Amino acid sequence: MPEILVDKLTHTFGKGGPNPLTVLEDINLKFESGSFCSIVGTSGCGKSTLLKMMAGLFEPSDGQMTLDGDIIRGTDRRRGMVFQQDAVFPWMTVSRNISYGPRLRGASREEQAEIETKWVDMVGLKGFEDRWPRELSGGMRKRVDIGRVYANDPDVLLMDEPFGALDAQTKERMQADLLETWRQSKKTVIFVTHDLEEAIFLSDKIIVMSARPGRIRHIEEVSLPRPRTDEMRLTDEFIQIKRKLWAMLEH
Amino acid sequence: MEILAKVTTGRFGLGALSVAVVFILYIIVTNQPDNNPALLPPLTDIFNSFVTNVTSGTLFTALAASLFRIFMGFFIGTTLALILGCLIGWYKVIEYLFDPLIEALRPIPPLAYIPIIIIWFGIGEFSRVLIITIACFMVCVVNVIAGMKNVPQVYVDAAATMGASRFQVFRTVAVPAATPFIITGYRIALAAAWTTLVASELLAAQNGLGFLLQEGRRYFLTDQVMMIIVIIGACAFIMDRIFRKIQARLMQWSEARE
Ligand SMILES: Nc1ncnc2c1ncn2[C@@H]1O[C@H](COP(=O)(O)OP(=O)(O)OP(=O)(O)O)[C@@H](O)[C@H]1O
Ligand SMILES: [Mg+2]
Repeated sequence: MPEILVDKLTHTFGKGGPNPLTVLEDINLKFESGSFCSIVGTSGCGKSTLLKMMAGLFEPSDGQMTLDGDIIRGTDRRRGMVFQQDAVFPWMTVSRNISYGPRLRGASREEQAEIETKWVDMVGLKGFEDRWPRELSGGMRKRVDIGRVYANDPDVLLMDEPFGALDAQTKERMQADLLETWRQSKKTVIFVTHDLEEAIFLSDKIIVMSARPGRIRHIEEVSLPRPRTDEMRLTDEFIQIKRKLWAMLEH
Repeated sequence: MEILAKVTTGRFGLGALSVAVVFILYIIVTNQPDNNPALLPPLTDIFNSFVTNVTSGTLFTALAASLFRIFMGFFIGTTLALILGCLIGWYKVIEYLFDPLIEALRPIPPLAYIPIIIIWFGIGEFSRVLIITIACFMVCVVNVIAGMKNVPQVYVDAAATMGASRFQVFRTVAVPAATPFIITGYRIALAAAWTTLVASELLAAQNGLGFLLQEGRRYFLTDQVMMIIVIIGACAFIMDRIFRKIQARLMQWSEARE
């Protein structure tokens, strides 16, 4: 199973140009295979940038990242990503969006249909299979996004604030579903969020970043037992972690 | 009354209204005692000219010749524009190769090519289709390129992270994402086809709608000139309507409405 290592990574936008902007500096991280890690940090500290580099969308200006020892270069279906923005293809119906990845690899009609049924159901969009994305709400589109990446079955899941646009109930259900999917498949998940409670509830490890330039400020190991239940959100341990991280983000 | 209000405020009603107003104004003007029918022929004359040209078969022959040129020029021009535009808009190497050329040729009105085309190829059918082809190509290719350049990055990134190859991204993301621009390009090309058709036929043709216009001018048949103008307008209008239908079908997914 995949393990990601980030080694002395620094990234400067517009390097060598008139106004370079260093967004990440000296990042060293280890994402154990099959673990669930969250990244939290103030807006603009470089979380999306880091995630996109792990996806292979662009290369860091310094340092490197490896997946199972191989340097990450370019995109690969093994590293799936849910983007912070809406990335649902508006020219495909919901179910065609869901089966996009398998279709790229020449999945048969039956295989596609099977995948569509499974994941449309999983993200709670039953009955909307043949709708155009423009006919869905923002939160529903986000679920299409998520279902599409799940259906593509990557080894590493990079998720950039995937549940940000959802209401509390849907969010908690999606969190539980995500944990269940993750438990069954043992994918390595790297999850960016602004929501501390979400981070604590989901993660084995929480990476707290500081801003300008983004650095690793603290790494919190969450030792709450698994499987996680909603009651745990009210335990002392949970609240203590939350308080600690909160204080860190404040300053 | 209510029905009347609905009909007249609806899209169709308002459109018909504006056409009707023009007709009525025209009738009023041509009925003035001091109107010169050689300059503004009454509607009846225009209609008679229509009947004469239809019964003699002239109009049909001219229309067929013109439509053939339009379709050939439009089809070849837009097909080339689609293929080349997609490649130029997507692949940097091809862009660097062709962009200066297209940018340099873009401001030249297609009609400016007429003299050189006549010198090279004479005044035959080929030349006329070629002019229309050039016109359609130039207006269309610019839109196709713009469409390919405006593909939102996040769609490209999403496809890539799902394992799409560069060519798969091109085929399954860039081209569909660019369809609104591409269709607009096609519609502008159709309009350009009509413009250049008439111009090319005015200059060098033995048949076609433009030829009938020219003939009307030469023999002072103002009613025939008017009639052809209406025919051209009607044809272009009908084609644009058909096009909008196709557009609406292809663009079901889009928020933008016509
Ligand atoms: N393509 C780019 N070119 C130049 N600067 C960029 C680019 N993308 C991001 N930045 C800059 O990098 C910094 C970090 O951006 P990033 O999107 O990674 O932040 P983030 O931590 O994800 O923020 P948020 O929580 O608001 O999503 C920002 O200051 C942003 O302006
Ligand atoms: Mg971000």
